[in-house]
Amino acid sequence: MIFNEIYSAYYNAVAKIITAVLDGKTDEREFNQIVCDHAFGESMLTVLPALKSEKWQLIRADMTTPLQHKPTMPLTLIQKQWLKAISLDPRIKLFGVELSGLEDVEPLFTPSDYYVYDRYSDGDPFEDEKYIKHFRTILFALKHKKNLKLEMVNRKGNAVYTRCVPQRLEYSEKDDKFRLVTTGCHFIRTVNIARITKCKIYNGDTVIPSAEPEVHLDTITLRVSEERNTLERCMLHFAHFEKRAEKVGDHYLLHIKFHRDDEPEMVIRVLSFGPTVEVLESEHFKNLIIAKLKSQKSCELL
Amino acid sequence: MSSYSELIKNFEKIRSYMREFYVYGFKSREEYNKKSARSYDDERRRMESWLGDHMSFVRTPEGKNVFISIDSRVSQHNPFYKALKAKSFTDGDITLHFILFDILHSPEVVLSLPEILEKIDEYLDGFASPMVFDESTVRKKLKEYMEQEIILGQKKGRKMLYHRAENIPLPEITDILNFYSEVAPCGVVGSFLLDKLEEKTDSFSFKHHYITSAMDSNVLAMLFKAMHKKCIVTVSNMSRRADEPRQNRIIPLRIFISVQNGRQHLLAYQPDFNVIKSFRIDYLSDVKIEEPTPRFDELRAELDQKQAHMWGVTVKTKRHEEECLEHIDFTVRVAENEEYIIRRLEREKRCGTVEKLDEHTYRFSADIYDTSEIIPWIRTFICRITELHFSNKAFETQFKKDIRAMYRMYGLEEVEA
Repeated sequence: MIFNEIYSAYYNAVAKIITAVLDGKTDEREFNQIVCDHAFGESMLTVLPALKSEKWQLIRADMTTPLQHKPTMPLTLIQKQWLKAISLDPRIKLFGVELSGLEDVEPLFTPSDYYVYDRYSDGDPFEDEKYIKHFRTILFALKHKKNLKLEMVNRKGNAVYTRCVPQRLEYSEKDDKFRLVTTGCHFIRTVNIARITKCKIYNGDTVIPSAEPEVHLDTITLRVSEERNTLERCMLHFAHFEKRAEKVGDHYLLHIKFHRDDEPEMVIRVLSFGPTVEVLESEHFKNLIIAKLKSQKSCELL
Repeated sequence: MSSYSELIKNFEKIRSYMREFYVYGFKSREEYNKKSARSYDDERRRMESWLGDHMSFVRTPEGKNVFISIDSRVSQHNPFYKALKAKSFTDGDITLHFILFDILHSPEVVLSLPEILEKIDEYLDGFASPMVFDESTVRKKLKEYMEQEIILGQKKGRKMLYHRAENIPLPEITDILNFYSEVAPCGVVGSFLLDKLEEKTDSFSFKHHYITSAMDSNVLAMLFKAMHKKCIVTVSNMSRRADEPRQNRIIPLRIFISVQNGRQHLLAYQPDFNVIKSFRIDYLSDVKIEEPTPRFDELRAELDQKQAHMWGVTVKTKRHEEECLEHIDFTVRVAENEEYIIRRLEREKRCGTVEKLDEHTYRFSADIYDTSEIIPWIRTFICRITELHFSNKAFETQFKKDIRAMYRMYGLEEVEA
């Protein structure tokens, strides 16, 4: 259904090469670059040699092709069904694009076919008109490399203003929120879209520095036991980080790199595993866990 | 002996290797004893070819351990989709594919099979040793493309005529594809569409983004199809408790997706045991869609009702018309300026209620099917839990024992002699 050669990287690369040949190009280096861009690390050893040797009879030895049209293919059934399915998602309104022509297509899935059971319930108001307007202005600014002037409410409820260079929109599936990552303002790097009250393209003369500041990463080392299937649960839970695992005797060491800004979240994520995961390093992170436990001791639960 | 290729015929083989390398990544070559050493070397080489910089290795006394490490917050597109773009094909497949779509270059070109065969021969004329495609091969390929609705057939008398499908004129959807190819189920389909676009600007990145589900796309798409048709399926289930996969005949009802651990489960009715139960999708393979069932709507409605008491993916069947629920409640203290704790309770709870007991004390309570599923969340409130009651006393005792074990682990209490 999905695992099919018509979607393959090789077919895509060959389509691009045929297009280039029809455009009158004959430079092999250019064809190899196409293969590098559209296929895999070792594809250069296969794709062009297969075409040149007439194993795949699409390009003749003299680098001409019997094909007369640039390769195209209509949308497959599953592509149409998937597009129809996403057209039913409430977040689609953010993009202001009508996916027409799919009226007679059955969706691959509907919202009642799946359930995200652990997403936080205070996600962004994706159907709010003001939110949609701000989102589209930001997206426009990102695509056209424009600066932004933002007015927002901070955590303490105070109005804050900034001029910034938008870098990207970061979406958290857990929080169901979009955040705008910016540069150019020392005290605001990430803005929750839902907190924005005004959003305009900034065409003023003030030059805003656009270099993205360095991301500070911290590393922790966890000792993970195999008890209660912790190893698998822990590896899956932290799978989205850059990490390395090693087996040491009867337990495992897991080294995880994370953004320093996310430290409070990491502390509670580690705590959620209880005694089957122990923080070995860093000393600083370990002390944060100890502080939580000391505070818990004072609650006299036991 | 067949020679090595970057491409693969069977996705199941690589699916388990990729998961091992990505999720675990601490096994040495020798530990992959289920398959041959040659198979291991080939699969590792393929993954290196697809994933390039994301592959790393460390040397240990046991040997070289290869692993995949990806910070999905940095990577804007799921690298595992590449594996789904590595399906092998024959020389004839690729040749025929491009020639067929060149012959049928617009929906107005309508041809019979003999006419198509004649034209194919004309295309191949100029090659030193032209390939020969017989009627049955071309008919089979056309049939395959008709199933995908990229080629359409129309009967004229006894003759079948073929033409390409109309293209749907899509508006500018790069942003939509960049976003949904990462967050929607079967997002790889969006990635296939992105491959065809010239514009590559990408404004999105993703936090808390689990990417392993990419490897289950085929299984997921089949399950969606079965649900849509309200059909029974047979599926092969390789549970971690069994050595051999088991065949299950089930009615798929809904996919449960976790955005906190990346796991996907199928909630399905198992007629043999008269229960609704969960199946991990990464353990499922070989989905076969069978006949429709009249019970689908009734069973899905039953699942809807049960969801009010599900913290995770566990459901239990009623006993004597009574739901088998376990009660849990716990109380937390909230200091001045810690309103975020109350917000956390409200937004993170999946069922149950939050109650204010006094200015600085709040209680969460719920009746759920499985207490063990909520325990990790309760532990995230460690530092402020003042009371805790589970109707399942074994879990309550274990919870408290675990807290004590943590005190000892970090030197806050003496280790018992």
